Amino acid sequence: MAPKQGDAADREIVISRVYDSPREIVWEAMTDPKRVVLWWDPRGFTTTIAKMDVRPGGAWQLTMHGPDGTDYPNKSVFVEVVRPERLVYKHGGGAKGKPGANFTATWTFEALGRKTRLTGRMVFPTSEARDQVVREYNAIEGGKQTLERLAEHLARR
Amino acid sequence: MGALSDPTRRAILGRLASGPAAVGELARPFRMSQQAVSKHLAVLQRARLVRKLRRGRLQLCSVEGSPLREAAGWIGRYRRLWEDRLDRLGRYLEDLKRKEKRRGPKAR
Repeated sequence: MAPKQGDAADREIVISRVYDSPREIVWEAMTDPKRVVLWWDPRGFTTTIAKMDVRPGGAWQLTMHGPDGTDYPNKSVFVEVVRPERLVYKHGGGAKGKPGANFTATWTFEALGRKTRLTGRMVFPTSEARDQVVREYNAIEGGKQTLERLAEHLARR
Repeated sequence: MGALSDPTRRAILGRLASGPAAVGELARPFRMSQQAVSKHLAVLQRARLVRKLRRGRLQLCSVEGSPLREAAGWIGRYRRLWEDRLDRLGRYLEDLKRKEKRRGPKAR
């Protein structure tokens, strides 16, 4: 791999989906905490949203609970809220008293008739941000492995 | 699992990020026995974050892969996490539509 090329690509994720739903509905699914918890976690995890104040400067506190009982707190602050078009938040790391791992996520909701194109762009500017990613990723991989082991164990009985 | 959930293991990784080190060298700053550090290293090895290599008679530990490649790898995996998450959002939206359809004719 060419070490230079990657700089931006290594620190940025852009993902997109077209949903067969109007964008008001997609917006609600992304911003109403009661709905967010219904699709946020992988199997085996649960999510608690203590606060989701969707307006500029508003806080978003979300904790993922792993199958082994470990909690993974996440804190963000909304930067831009243009219902139902554009949502920007800064992810500020997790545990209390720890310096924030900053990454910015920008979501756009584009109306395509009755459908919606949802595009997310996440930029990780620092190594701290990357570490946060490592932790969350590991949490989820770890959780999947726990479930696989449990399934194996049950199959063997 | 949870290889990175432990502060000592994160510190070991931090130390190894600046270059390979012998186990004894790693143990020193933690005021821990070599044995205890070896246990942490075994966890990190199983998580494929650290590998052992031989240099002459010395056994050294180093982080797996170059830090840049690691970063790229993690980003790629984080992307997958979000791809999965957006797929779940899609399924949720489909469920929602089905429920509304079912409710629709009755309401009329």
